[in-house]
Amino acid sequence: MMFSNIEEKFAVKSGRNGGGGGGGGMDGGGGMGGSCYVYPDSPTTPDIVTPDVTYNRGIYMNGSMTMDDGNSVTIWGFTDGGGGGGMDGGGAFPSPAMRVTQGQIVHTNLNVQGMMWNHTIHHHGIEPADHSDGVGHITWDVDGQYTYQWRPMHPGTYFYHCHTNTVLHAEMGMYGALIVDPPEGPGTLISGKVTYDSEAFWVVDEIDSSWHTLPWDAGSCGADVGLNVLNPDYFIITGVDASGSSAMNLPPISGQMRVGEKLLARYVCAGYHPQHIRIPAELNATAYISDGRILPTPIAMTDFRAHSAERYDMILAPTTPGDYVIEFDIIDWITGEVHGTARTNVVVSA
Amino acid sequence: MKRRDFLKAGSASLAASVVAGSGLISWAPRAQAATINKTFFITDGYQNQITGDNVYFRGFSSSNNVVNVPGESIVAQEGDTLNITITNTLSSTHRFVIDGVVNSGDIRPGRTVTVSFTPTQAGTYMYYDNSNAPYNRLLGLHGGFAVMPAGSDNQLFAGSQNTFVQQQFWIFHDIDPVWHNTLANGNTPNTAYEPRFFTLNGLGGRPPGAPGAHDPNIDAMTDPRSAVHGHIGDRTLLRSLNAGKCDQSLHCHGNHMEWLSANGEIRPDVWKKDCIYLDKNNGIVDVIFPFETPPDAYPPVSTGIYPMHLHSEMSQTAGGGFYMFGSLTDIYFE
Repeated sequence: MMFSNIEEKFAVKSGRNGGGGGGGGMDGGGGMGGSCYVYPDSPTTPDIVTPDVTYNRGIYMNGSMTMDDGNSVTIWGFTDGGGGGGMDGGGAFPSPAMRVTQGQIVHTNLNVQGMMWNHTIHHHGIEPADHSDGVGHITWDVDGQYTYQWRPMHPGTYFYHCHTNTVLHAEMGMYGALIVDPPEGPGTLISGKVTYDSEAFWVVDEIDSSWHTLPWDAGSCGADVGLNVLNPDYFIITGVDASGSSAMNLPPISGQMRVGEKLLARYVCAGYHPQHIRIPAELNATAYISDGRILPTPIAMTDFRAHSAERYDMILAPTTPGDYVIEFDIIDWITGEVHGTARTNVVVSA
Repeated sequence: MKRRDFLKAGSASLAASVVAGSGLISWAPRAQAATINKTFFITDGYQNQITGDNVYFRGFSSSNNVVNVPGESIVAQEGDTLNITITNTLSSTHRFVIDGVVNSGDIRPGRTVTVSFTPTQAGTYMYYDNSNAPYNRLLGLHGGFAVMPAGSDNQLFAGSQNTFVQQQFWIFHDIDPVWHNTLANGNTPNTAYEPRFFTLNGLGGRPPGAPGAHDPNIDAMTDPRSAVHGHIGDRTLLRSLNAGKCDQSLHCHGNHMEWLSANGEIRPDVWKKDCIYLDKNNGIVDVIFPFETPPDAYPPVSTGIYPMHLHSEMSQTAGGGFYMFGSLTDIYFE
């Protein structure tokens, strides 16, 4: 079925280059003794129960993404399965998606090579107990195996990301989609009210490749490593270089639908700069949910802006066949100038 | 010495600095309009950053021998008469302005001016110096101003269904020390704006183990003006202002925020958001942190600690590194 393997479809595989990428990853080793203000621990989760769903996540620090210009950029992320990882040559980017049903008790088992580096998982927009929130300075940065326990109660689009040296780790690609379905499961956005026939995933991010050679703990002791300036040179959608045509006609980033069908576009502003989004009016886009909460009044979405980590769940219900391009300008947070534009499309047939 | 009351330039030998208040001039709902008198001194000085850099600031200060950045917040009520007396201790001309409410005009060096005005529109405002814009605002001449609806102690505006039991100001700022120190020398910046420090109510965060951690005068995570404390049901209005030049994304863990207003406009619907766009250059949003049981905890919890931080993560740094030394604080479910 259309949704059965969405996790696999969502995650666009990054290149596997255990050579050069591995070298970059090794630079991140904690053996240099250069990390500060991390709080390594891996305790037993308080009040742990038997879950309905379990996700196992490991770490890779040596992935890469090949851009349209042929350049390769080091990517870090979470592996599926939670094995040793780390040294085996990369993984999916974005990290493998999580897809759960409202009310399920979920375990996210994070396995970190704690002698090398620390990481956490923060399920952004999910609001669990603080010990399952993945914020190092309040609880701990995982240095072994830790289980996050949570029970999502509000359907919608979320994402999960590392919250250790977050400014760097999220930029390096340590994030993945997190979808909470209502009880009806995929195909329903709002229980008893809003359904859809297919989905598109617009996880829009910018990459400053100059950051992508830094070690995991860069700047944590106060060195000036430039983390106050993000000057992006690549503009991506769901792990694909989207400045040109690479993210066109590429489900599940782009949409393919017929008149009369409804497409659910799950938009995530995954970058750090604001974004200006233009959706052709012919696509009749309507947002029903933002940040995992139902909007009191659905709103038409044609020309809007969003800032870091905002999400919109939009139903597209076009009535006219066509090939429609959606554009995402990445706007400098200071100057307002356009750094670049990411593009995908929705093809509507009769 | 309290970092947020750092001494003015050239007066480091003074034995004591004046301690600022909690940030709110005492206010309680009244059936009758009142008269509020407040005195500010426009002062300047240097603040030492976590990196060791000394950065020049100007502030609307509570006395002539401290520099308060931001200035103390003021809460009034519709119909009150405010008499704000401003003494300019500096050698440059300044103003006290609340857009749409009051403008002192130029206050020349050494002069004292009193502005009197009666706010009629409930809401959240910034008072600032709009002269030599944006430089005087960026140097620190800004603060929060709130007008409560007449007779109400729990609403942003009359008729609001989203009531609160406590309120705070979150005033965000970003700082390019090159600009500040260029301005200190009487010159106009001619470099691209590159902020290196990011603050909340004048302070950066200090994670556990850092110098100044848990010191309410140094650590934005601990500063009682910034950190939020409550029990379940202690709905908290957070009047959030951006004095800096960077667009920000206001993000809370633990609960979604109820988004009531943006830039002086009441939102037509109240959205519940975990990230809200906070515009650069005097952007304002009003949100309520509801202190509801964190909805996705299993088993349920009613206590815990969660961060508020800006999600445009460059804002979480200081001097190009030092993650967690930027604009963030903690929210305590007690």
